[in-house]
Amino acid sequence: MNLLDIRNLSIELDTPSGRVLAVDRVSLSIKEGEVRGLVGESGSGKSLLAQAIIGVLEDKWHVHADRFHWRGIDLLRLSIDERKALLCRDIAMIFQEPMSCLDPTTLIGEQLSEAINTSQLTGYFWQRKKQRKEAVIKLLHKVGIKKHDQCINSYPHQLTEAICQRVMIAIALAGRPILLIADEPTAAMESTTQGQIFRLLANLNQLKNMSILLISHDLENLTHWTNTITVMYSGQFVEAGSTEQIFNKPMHPYTRALVDSSTKANLQLPSKSRLMTLPGSIPVLQHLPIGCRLGPRCPRAQQSCVSAPKVSNFHGHKVSCHFPLLREPGKKESIKHKTVKGKR
Amino acid sequence: MLTFTLRRLSLFIFTMLVLTLLSFSLSFLFPGDTVINHSGQINASTTELAHLNQVYQMDKNIFHQYLAYLSHILNGDFGQSMASQSPISNEIRKLLPATIELSLVALLIAMLVGIPLGFIAAIKHNKTSDNVILSLAMLGYSIPVFWLGLLAILVFSIGLGWLPSAGQISLLFEIEFVTGIQFFDILLSDSPYKWQAFRDASAHMILPACVVALAPATIFIRLSRASMIEVLAASYIRAARAKGLSFQQIIFRHAIRNALIQIIRHVGLQFANLVTIAMVTEVIFSWPGIGRWLIDSIYQRDYTAIQSGLLVLSCFIFIVHILTDFIYAALNPLARGNKHGS
Repeated sequence: MNLLDIRNLSIELDTPSGRVLAVDRVSLSIKEGEVRGLVGESGSGKSLLAQAIIGVLEDKWHVHADRFHWRGIDLLRLSIDERKALLCRDIAMIFQEPMSCLDPTTLIGEQLSEAINTSQLTGYFWQRKKQRKEAVIKLLHKVGIKKHDQCINSYPHQLTEAICQRVMIAIALAGRPILLIADEPTAAMESTTQGQIFRLLANLNQLKNMSILLISHDLENLTHWTNTITVMYSGQFVEAGSTEQIFNKPMHPYTRALVDSSTKANLQLPSKSRLMTLPGSIPVLQHLPIGCRLGPRCPRAQQSCVSAPKVSNFHGHKVSCHFPLLREPGKKESIKHKTVKGKR
Repeated sequence: MLTFTLRRLSLFIFTMLVLTLLSFSLSFLFPGDTVINHSGQINASTTELAHLNQVYQMDKNIFHQYLAYLSHILNGDFGQSMASQSPISNEIRKLLPATIELSLVALLIAMLVGIPLGFIAAIKHNKTSDNVILSLAMLGYSIPVFWLGLLAILVFSIGLGWLPSAGQISLLFEIEFVTGIQFFDILLSDSPYKWQAFRDASAHMILPACVVALAPATIFIRLSRASMIEVLAASYIRAARAKGLSFQQIIFRHAIRNALIQIIRHVGLQFANLVTIAMVTEVIFSWPGIGRWLIDSIYQRDYTAIQSGLLVLSCFIFIVHILTDFIYAALNPLARGNKHGS
């Protein structure tokens, strides 16, 4: 059963010149115990999507979805308070720039202990304080911080980015979540500490069977840690499938370009030659192209690309393109008539 | 913390030096003889004048004159008031505590009213209560203080008769002068009518303190609203929401502390403004403070008093500035320095 099942989630922003569709009908599903990657350039709406799932977007953003199921419960039928209570209990989130996500004037220990739910503590109220402290220390050990006393009595600015991110993970773990959303957890970190954080997340996934939604702009790095990947471009769904499918047999021109722009997939490339990139840059929110938003930059774009493509499914490999890159010629017939017409 | 204190102290000393330089130069700029402006002895005989010239080293160059002036001030000798011919230091000793009392009570009222209102406005951002609070703040800020003072006397003292209109305490009560701050003196005295006196002094305090507090309170409303809006948009508040904390927990545990830190810095700046308002208000409410005395001495062309009054008032404001800096450092861990790692 799917842990999280979102269908056609849209996020709109109120601007002086009318509403802008920042995230356009994106679907996302996460199975129990899997690590799903969410890849896209900065500004492609990945963080928005994550924040919309957990419900911490500001009021100026308007979220709609056709379906929003959490472990079989239809969240759209619940009231906002019930939904928030349910999601806060089961989903935790860690943010990019951990330093700014910790209250600068509160001690780390205090911030950790307030994340621990009272219902987790057994015993009478005079024992609670001691239990809380023990729980805090246990959480810090879990995320690999050994000097717990020093850490508890520090302010965020006294710690390094990596330790702050570990503290954020500890705070997220305090609620014993089923799904952890990691929004670029290693942005602006050194590669050694990046590896540590990713290994910690992978351990948590394997030992606690915790599902993780890993958001990143770095497709190549992500492939080491994820089971499945969803790719987004400029607020639109691009492609979803298992890590091997996405990395080895990308069907969407955008994913193809992403993979080609990484050095690892291009080992056969002669040294000092240029990497493949798409021309242009990601469109700004005020001037979004109609239809498929990749259109103006896409090497395979044709006239039909001005209308948004439907998602087609090839053995669980979903792609949203009129002209997907297909390796097997036998598959051609299964594509919609438009595709056949437009192909080569 | 030691370096922090030392830096503040050195700042204090140098600012005071510049201030004394200013008040020293005023003696030359005011009409009349410089020595008489320094000392305030307008009726000095020839021998006294010769003595004064020697004491203030008027025969030597200007640097020695300044040093002589400085040593007089450091010894607490501000000269005599030209109007009353009594030592100015005694008058300041008597009058300054009343001003301190009035301005501190007003500051307290302004903070207690302004900051929570600003927080409420920020939490209800862009809603009716926000707009109401903001427009009230705008209105309060635009009312001139002398007009408001007269209006308050007209309504509450003459019209309704609730509160006394002038003075610090009713003449019926005889309170011994100990600290000069009326409330402390009343509590220290062993008069059998102590509590009646206390109540009377509070009744006298309410009107002038509220009048003084109005303008700073409106500034605090705007300041606290702005800083609260900024804090509420910060990413640690979003992280706290994702943590599953309720709205009240977020406000009371995280938002208020961070917003207050930003406001504390401005309190020191606003205090100078508040003292200026207090000086005008003292005249209206016949409050026996240094502001009224200073304005009186301006009318009487009491140059010695003007000089020393300015010096003492600015010194007082500066001390309050330094105190708020210390409170800021105590509240804000980021200002305390001592960073490890990274």
